[in-house]
Amino acid sequence: MSRVALAIVLAIIWAAITGNFSAPNLLLGGSVAILALLLIRKEFAPPVYLQKIKRSISLAGLFLYELALSAYRVSVLILSPNMKSKLKPGIIAFPLSVTSDVEITLLANLITLTPGTLSVDVSEDRKFLYVHALSVPNKKALIKEIADGFETKIIEVFK
Amino acid sequence: MSGFDFLQLSATIALGLLTLAFALTIIRIIRGPSLPDRVLALEMLVSTGIAYTAVLAIKTSFFLYLDVAISLGLVGFLATVAFARYVLQRGLQRKERESAIQAASSGKLKQ
Amino acid sequence: MIVEIAYYIGAILLLIGALFSVVAAIGILRLPDLYTRMHAASKTGTMGAGLTFVAIAVVAFDGPVILRALVGFIFLILTAPVGAHLLARAACLAGYKPSELTEINEYEESMK
Repeated sequence: MSRVALAIVLAIIWAAITGNFSAPNLLLGGSVAILALLLIRKEFAPPVYLQKIKRSISLAGLFLYELALSAYRVSVLILSPNMKSKLKPGIIAFPLSVTSDVEITLLANLITLTPGTLSVDVSEDRKFLYVHALSVPNKKALIKEIADGFETKIIEVFK
Repeated sequence: MSGFDFLQLSATIALGLLTLAFALTIIRIIRGPSLPDRVLALEMLVSTGIAYTAVLAIKTSFFLYLDVAISLGLVGFLATVAFARYVLQRGLQRKERESAIQAASSGKLKQ
Repeated sequence: MIVEIAYYIGAILLLIGALFSVVAAIGILRLPDLYTRMHAASKTGTMGAGLTFVAIAVVAFDGPVILRALVGFIFLILTAPVGAHLLARAACLAGYKPSELTEINEYEESMK
């Protein structure tokens, strides 16, 4: 069922990118989508509920807002004349409480777009996410900020 | 000044700024010092190229350029993925290890 | 009237996007090591290119073009962090050291 929905969404995206919503083009998009979905090994799309869609949209909003904010903060840092003294880069281990692939991927992407942090790797046992930060004045505060902000939001969407 | 004129003027200014960004990024590609630095600068070059194409689309009102920009983004992303794999497979070369240590220590001296 | 306003907004978005691109390029030149440069390229650089897409969506007044511009924007901001993360991971695993300014490196400690 979710595959059918996914195929329809992919067909619409196809029509949007080619800029042509005529029936034959939608049909072509749908067949390409089905072909692509057949190539994927396992079912991955979770069932969709209205509540979840709402939360996903708020997550997307947060994503955009954080991107804008982080771009602005990084620019201010780059353009400040005494940049070197403000830099205190470090790679810290962030203890993960989300477990599934989708959640970790989303969290890693969001972390890359938050001000001053960039995800580097996930440990083998999936307990830690290694995060590179532009300035680490206080390691615990940074970990708490990520855990309270994005991680709770992501758990809300997926639970 | 009408809105359209202002749009044209700012598109021209944006093209100038993007050219400056191109030049600065190319300096980093020439300087290096290591392979991932150059790959990163290449990624930056691609995203500047995307912006350049998009500005051209607005300046000429020829929106087919948008497709060019999107496909450039696709190719750039795939190139970054492929380069990342290559960096991983190749590991560190001896020369690079020395220059990396040098660069790190010179950074400290300047500070 | 609405067309004029859209043109002004689009023009301002273009200028901000181009400025972000320049700042990202300056950052790539100024920052001390690969990992800090990645911050400049992945956030500021993406924002620069993304804003020009949004500018197209604002000034185009044409359904398919607006949709394509937005799809391009979403595509761009989804792929940029993935690319940056892949490159950072590859560089870390290959053994490229961060600069000596770096204070904590728990990743390296974990690999020992």
